[in-house]
Amino acid sequence: MTQAPAWQHPFSRVEDVATTFAAHDYVADRALCLTTKLAFDLGKPILLEGEAGVGKTEVAKVLASALDTPLIRLQCYEGLDASSTLYEWNYARQILEIRLAESDAARRAGLDTALFGPEFLFERPLLKAIRHPGPRPAVLLIDEVDRADEEFEAFLLEILSDFQITVPELGTFHAVQRPCVILTSNRTRELNDALKRRCLYLWIDYPTPDKEREILARRVPGLDARLADNVARVMQALRSVDFYKRPGVAEALDWARALLELDVRELAPATVLDTAGVVLKYRDDVERLGRLDLEALLDGRAVEK
Amino acid sequence: MSALLDHTLALCHAAREAGLPVTQARTLDACRALASIDCANRDDYRVALRTNLVASREDEIVFERVFARHFGQWTDEHDGGAILARSELLRGELDAGRSNEGHRDMLTEADTFGAEEVARRANLAARWDPDAPPLAQVIRELARRLATRPSRRVAPDRRGARVDLRRSIRRNVRHGLDLLELARVARKTRKTRIVMLCDVSGSMDAFNPFLLQLMFGLQQALTASRTLVFSTRVSEITAALRRRTVAETLRDIGQRVRHWSGGTDIGAALGELNRGVLREGSSRATVLVVISDGYDNGDTARIAAELEVAKRQVRTLVWINPMFGASTFKVRAAGMKAALPYIDHFLPAFNGRALHQLVKGLRAV
Repeated sequence: MTQAPAWQHPFSRVEDVATTFAAHDYVADRALCLTTKLAFDLGKPILLEGEAGVGKTEVAKVLASALDTPLIRLQCYEGLDASSTLYEWNYARQILEIRLAESDAARRAGLDTALFGPEFLFERPLLKAIRHPGPRPAVLLIDEVDRADEEFEAFLLEILSDFQITVPELGTFHAVQRPCVILTSNRTRELNDALKRRCLYLWIDYPTPDKEREILARRVPGLDARLADNVARVMQALRSVDFYKRPGVAEALDWARALLELDVRELAPATVLDTAGVVLKYRDDVERLGRLDLEALLDGRAVEK
Repeated sequence: MSALLDHTLALCHAAREAGLPVTQARTLDACRALASIDCANRDDYRVALRTNLVASREDEIVFERVFARHFGQWTDEHDGGAILARSELLRGELDAGRSNEGHRDMLTEADTFGAEEVARRANLAARWDPDAPPLAQVIRELARRLATRPSRRVAPDRRGARVDLRRSIRRNVRHGLDLLELARVARKTRKTRIVMLCDVSGSMDAFNPFLLQLMFGLQQALTASRTLVFSTRVSEITAALRRRTVAETLRDIGQRVRHWSGGTDIGAALGELNRGVLREGSSRATVLVVISDGYDNGDTARIAAELEVAKRQVRTLVWINPMFGASTFKVRAAGMKAALPYIDHFLPAFNGRALHQLVKGLRAV
């Protein structure tokens, strides 16, 4: 077991985290900065919950780029299992090795153990994160963990508390440098308590109008301040409507980029309707938008006609 | 530092009292976190504790309240008062004198049937019996009927369709160099997910004991299913139903659901379901079970609209109407009429006997 020298994370104060996020154009509030700092101090994963498109995944990307380490991403889905998350044996090479051994007595002798050696192992995201040599830790993003089934959560427990993975044929791999782990969930279902207990929890809400304006300004260069203001105000109003899918920050950014591309200087009711598909992704929702008083919407109020 | 520690421990204690899952380990983590923050900043202190002590959005809100109250910034009038369990729910006592047509049908029937009949139907009006839940077996049967669909996971199976290379190589390297013997896998079966939406408005009061039994039993039998109750609002009670004892469950539900015996807004409830629980997972794997009498104070057109959306998100839509069993039952409720075109199975169930009927009906689900 090789334990690398303890790596000192660069966030000695909460403000350092804030500076880092700001440098990567991510508008983070104090709670997120503090939670991030604690995650590094305590060596615990962060569980970020929130509606789709509020920037949960982005947190991991920013951290990876700030620490200049690889971002190892595991996108969850139902039926996710060990061979797609931990490791898989390279069967083609194994069979080739068996063929070679047929003509080579020396090879044949140790075949039984050689076939299950490290060189025949495909690393999958979790194992890759554990074996990341350092010195800076990898950022492991376990995205949309609520999409995976309960079995997978149970299986994450060992990894997230002990940072080790056992391959029966090879032994146990301990983390050289504990990865920085970010889990995200859209909260389509409740996660297991045991999993939550191992994590720091943070709910990311839709941004306030001011924050959204700042996000738009930072993320969409060239966007007119007044248009940014318009977009932020309309988004706020739209989120108060009971849509099937309320638009997130991601939609706001897409919309601002679309408007910029279309060379729109100022939002008009017709523009809102024409570009509705960027913001709303359900037919019923688009129809609902048509029933709203668009003039009022541009003023930041959502009322039916 | 020791004053700070006192505050922290007191807060942890208060949070636990308020029902947050504050374990010893979490308390320790919270204390460890103090070392790396500026404790003079109360917001930082609050966030540092919160992130360690809570596990969900709801918990966050509870914690904020605990924290504010600890530092004397919270007055109880904001709190809406202590959450009290409805005594009817806990004691199972029923108000039999409701002037509701459906109930009258049923109660009269109970009067005109023979003593044996009444006894069999009496479980509806009886309080929850902690010793012998009479529905346990039929619910198990119900769960079994609903319990098959192919999983995406695989398990070793000699006649499986797929070859498991890992086990094949492992097995064959032992006694030769060629793959003589193939290990196979097949997909496992997994349980269908049931999403149960149960009407607990005032008009359903007479059926409460039966409904509670049904919800508790199904949740215990099919752990992946979800149970929600609604009147004018919707509350998920899945976690409450997962508790081990009925007493704990009832207490928990009483604490969570404050709108029990309220009005009815079926459309809004379905809408919330459409935006929330039904979005999860594969639609082919979900069976939506609505238990309601269809008496509705909401917008009837909305019921139809929301059911149309719900229909796209589930495999089967089952509507259990407790009134349906009564002999004079006709579809009188406007909400029920609006819903009928979207329902795959419209079933009676207001007591154990009717539930047997329901189980037979489910063969086709």
